[in-house]
Amino acid sequence: MKEEAGHPFLSFDSVSKFYFSRGRILGGRGRQVVALNRLTLDIRKGEIFGLVGESGSGKTTAGRLIVRLEDADRGSILVEGQDITHLRGRRLKDFRRRIQMIFQDPYQSLNPQLSVFDTVSEPLLIHRKGDRLSRREMVLNALQSVGLSPPEDFVHRFPHQMSGGQRQRVAIARAMVLGPDFVVADEPTSMLDASISAQIFNILLEMQKNLGITLLFITHSLAAARYLCDRIAVIYRGNLMELGSADDVIQRPRHPYTQALIDALPKFGQCGEAARFNTFLKAERESSATIGCAFFGRCSIANRILCSQEVPPLKTVSPGRQVACFFAQEQGKNLPASKTCYYGI
Amino acid sequence: MALLEVEDLSIGYRTRLGLHRAVEGVSFSLEEGKSLGFVGESGCGKTTVGMALMGLLPRNGIILRGSVLFEGRDILAISEEELRLLRWKKISMIFQAAMNALNPVKRVADQVAEAILAHTRSVSRAEASRQVEGLFQLVGVPKNRMRDYPHQYSGGMKQRAIIAMALACKPRLIIADEPTTALDVIVQDQILQETRLLQEQLGISIIFISHDISIVADVCHDIGIMYAGELVEYGNRNELFNSPAHPYTRALLSSFPTLTGNREMLKPIAGEPPNLLNPPRGCRFCARCPEASEECDSFSPQWIELSPRHKVRCVRFRRKEGQQ
Repeated sequence: MKEEAGHPFLSFDSVSKFYFSRGRILGGRGRQVVALNRLTLDIRKGEIFGLVGESGSGKTTAGRLIVRLEDADRGSILVEGQDITHLRGRRLKDFRRRIQMIFQDPYQSLNPQLSVFDTVSEPLLIHRKGDRLSRREMVLNALQSVGLSPPEDFVHRFPHQMSGGQRQRVAIARAMVLGPDFVVADEPTSMLDASISAQIFNILLEMQKNLGITLLFITHSLAAARYLCDRIAVIYRGNLMELGSADDVIQRPRHPYTQALIDALPKFGQCGEAARFNTFLKAERESSATIGCAFFGRCSIANRILCSQEVPPLKTVSPGRQVACFFAQEQGKNLPASKTCYYGI
Repeated sequence: MALLEVEDLSIGYRTRLGLHRAVEGVSFSLEEGKSLGFVGESGCGKTTVGMALMGLLPRNGIILRGSVLFEGRDILAISEEELRLLRWKKISMIFQAAMNALNPVKRVADQVAEAILAHTRSVSRAEASRQVEGLFQLVGVPKNRMRDYPHQYSGGMKQRAIIAMALACKPRLIIADEPTTALDVIVQDQILQETRLLQEQLGISIIFISHDISIVADVCHDIGIMYAGELVEYGNRNELFNSPAHPYTRALLSSFPTLTGNREMLKPIAGEPPNLLNPPRGCRFCARCPEASEECDSFSPQWIELSPRHKVRCVRFRRKEGQQ
């Protein structure tokens, strides 16, 4: 959409995060799980950047690292050039005012004992913004901007008195009320019906357009990513597989994993015999090695020796387009363009 | 004769505020070996229909009208004991978050065997576990995982085990209510493909319930669109998607993002579904319908046949035919 839009607002610089599964009863750490493996990418100012992956891909971890709900084990995260991975105290609090998060499940992320007014005004109290009157004004404005109108009808409601879509709007209003520069939206619609999701998407688009907010949109849905995002990155088991403009990555996927994701989407309408990429192995290939490509075990085009021994580097295949696959150039198929073929979300 | 024949089914829930009319006048029939999908937003009554077919309505749920003929027998009229014999043996169900309903302290395979033993008296324990082995193979759970406990399974494998359980007594009808929500796309795709395959191989009829049109469209021969407790459009999958007729169906489709073509602004459906404690007199979609006219407000639309395999409840069509 806007390729030249600005310098990086936020950068991941070789960020890794490990978790340990529960160890034995007496001492000893359990198996190490790599949630993020040397993730490097830039998010440009003013864009909506999509992080696409399945559960366990590390996409949520990436979001939580940004808002400092968790700390990276290696590497650093830069916001406007400043390393935020070690911020503490006052400076961390100031930073958090600028960076907000919208969580996946509006049935769990809202405190059931707080009214909408209390929920949305709480960030203002924590950051000591405004007085009683101006806070009320700010809350009403935030509710209005997420389409809960008239806002006066909603301020006294409690979460159980609202539908899932309305709750998620409240969560968005709460994230927006401090006027942040950057918002992490972690699967904000996965708990909602398709028809309600569209409303939430449009609110996020308006936020970006009208307020110039930079957004990280975390999703498992390629269709949602294409609708919302300027650029997307596809990650698998903590590894960046493919990155580029949303249209380009989805319509001309070059990584076998991205292609497998597209194959897996349910299709309907007039799709004809929509070409499949068939890059996903039904039975996982035996692989003892932890070196090599993360997708090796499931990849139908992998080279047994090369791909199991060496991690494919992230190569630039065309301007703004990076793919981590030795065979990216050979994977030339494109998505058939049919206007009446619908893909699932 | 159709395997399942539902006629004018209406269901309500008794609540403190009055009768919540969750399902109103739903009729459909399902042939042996065919699959039928119900699509609609949450609260449209699709799950209630499924529960009623299994005789599993919650205690405040009451059947107001209608009949459900399964193999020619009205299962709304039979006793609880007869129903219990029918359930799982003839009709089984895959619930929304069924994978979380597995007993954590019992081996998965034993739980599936239990379903067989509970319903077939003549089967020995050894025979049951042999059958489970076959079922696991059918749904793609590796043999060496038979002795595992639920926590050792991934979400996709648990869901497969649940499908195996639903197949355990070789039912003639499976009701699957959002069987793949909470699963990843690749796992979902595998399970949908397997479901389709099993259905073709074993000739089982399936009723598929989901809020996601794409999933239903992927698996089902026929599709019913539900809105606020009523069926509003019903038809063969291809006809329905190639020429969606009801304004609600079209609105649902245009709230879906696409992967190809131009990026067009999605048009969410404005407003909220009506309160079913006091449903509107006319068309229930009227208040949100961009094409509503005055008569929609007062007259409940009748079914209009667009083709032998496609019908819709919307006054616009009667008018159009009249004009031609």
